[in-house]
Amino acid sequence: MLFLQLLVSGIQTGAIYALTAAGFALIFGATRVFHVAHGATFALAGYTFLALSQAGFPWFLGAGAALVVAVAFGLFMDFFVYRPIQRHEGSFFTVFVAAFGMSIVVQSLIEIGFGRGFAVVASPLTRAHEVLPGLYLADIFWVAIGVALVMFGAVTLFLERTRLGIGLRALSENPELLRAFGLSSRRLSMVAFGLGSALAVPGAVLTAVTSGLQPAISAQVMLVSLAAAVVGGIGSLRGAALAGLLLGVVENLVVSVLDTQWSAAAGFVVLFAFILFKPSGLFGQAVAR
Amino acid sequence: MTAYLINLATLATIFGILAASLNVLIGYAGIFSIAHAVFFGLGAYAGAQLALQFIPDVLLACLAGGAISAALSLCLALPALRVRGEYFVAASLGLQMMAVTVFSEAHSLTGGHGGLVGIPPATLFGADVSAPAPFLGFALAVLAVLLLAVRLLMRGSFGRALMAIRDSESAAEAFGKDVRALKTLAVALGCAMAGVAGALFAFYMAFVNVESFTLEQSILVMAMVIIGGTATLAGPLLGVLLLLLLPAGLSFLPFIPPTQIGAVQQLIYGLAMTLLMIFRPAGIAGGRR
Repeated sequence: MLFLQLLVSGIQTGAIYALTAAGFALIFGATRVFHVAHGATFALAGYTFLALSQAGFPWFLGAGAALVVAVAFGLFMDFFVYRPIQRHEGSFFTVFVAAFGMSIVVQSLIEIGFGRGFAVVASPLTRAHEVLPGLYLADIFWVAIGVALVMFGAVTLFLERTRLGIGLRALSENPELLRAFGLSSRRLSMVAFGLGSALAVPGAVLTAVTSGLQPAISAQVMLVSLAAAVVGGIGSLRGAALAGLLLGVVENLVVSVLDTQWSAAAGFVVLFAFILFKPSGLFGQAVAR
Repeated sequence: MTAYLINLATLATIFGILAASLNVLIGYAGIFSIAHAVFFGLGAYAGAQLALQFIPDVLLACLAGGAISAALSLCLALPALRVRGEYFVAASLGLQMMAVTVFSEAHSLTGGHGGLVGIPPATLFGADVSAPAPFLGFALAVLAVLLLAVRLLMRGSFGRALMAIRDSESAAEAFGKDVRALKTLAVALGCAMAGVAGALFAFYMAFVNVESFTLEQSILVMAMVIIGGTATLAGPLLGVLLLLLLPAGLSFLPFIPPTQIGAVQQLIYGLAMTLLMIFRPAGIAGGRR
């Protein structure tokens, strides 16, 4: 039963990871920007939700505000950090360091504003019932799964059926041709950053309600989405989502075999092994060395 | 006051070695490792164990720390030979996360979270050099020797071949450079120097635990190198001075509450990293590229 319980909580964590990683993969796929400040987006959204909930606003207002803040931060990064760098040089490490710097800034601002400790938003949805003998499930589990499936379905539909979505996919494949075709790569990259950042919001709100937030969560989320994006094959949305789910499950299941201390490292062993033996990931195209 | 200054100078010297060693990887070889604290830690544990088990000779400890780190640098060289760019950053992150878990769990070697305590006072060929001033002298001598070695190596054919690889791997390969051997050597050199810094650090603190070898430390050292300026001799040292004096300087400002100094310091260096990348990507000491 312990195994089943861990599997269930792994799937719940995995659903959150999957959505966040899909946002990261969407941004990277379309714009080739390694957006490591994605974890900061997640933290900002979570703490916005937390602040409004503590101020007594209903949850949907809090979630709406979180969405606005997340999208605004994503666009801010695109506009004021990545574009100026790409204009003059744009080496990948310059972009990486700049984004990393911003996530440090966000983390320390949160620390100054909310303190270092854990903060949780209380919700009746997190009360667990016994669904099978020895297996406890809270309603939030179904919410997490449902939200993840709906959001993922919506993004897939958007990318496959709408003109804008097809434009995004074209941007990842051939930016020059896209420009020759008369589409604006700037506008499309804004769409990618907005949408990708929005994908971090459900995970942030769910985390605020379940396991709680802390300032360092931005680094943690950044590591997980990065790992998921690489394991899934950089740029592949379903790869990242599947790998995110996998990482969540592995992280939880490891506890049944080893001490809990090893659970965070387990995901990175998977990551390291993938980079050494199959750098193209689950669904990626082969990369040139 | 002089004791305080000598202490600060010793710490700056140790971090100077560490930053110079990371500069070999980032600046000259173009290997963007964010796992450097791992090798700093390996050197520290090796030096501490040597002092605790056998003989507290600081020169021997430096050699042992350097040797262990160089040997285990293969863990970093392996992904460096297989992948580049984002993938390598992800791999080094994975290595860093795994190493922290190993450091805190391998109790017999590292003392776990409690660390290794009671490292005996440093001696050199039997003479006691543990007093602050002689120890600073020894550390400075090590820094000078290593800087001279880096300068000579980087001016010679090794360094020029390395920089050729950094700028264009395929061009260097076409010129008949052995890319694999050169990269492996550069990684071993950088990591060995980090190990030496680690051994000095162990004697300086008389205590080591995993807290000094986390991802935050790796990022701090990276920030030192980047803010100072990569691929220059003076840049990393300048970065070390700036980032070590920052907390000391901030504590003199009356309007910052003492509990927030850590967060404010992080805020400043995060902001400095981002702004430098936007406006002056070669760092303070670096020329215009």
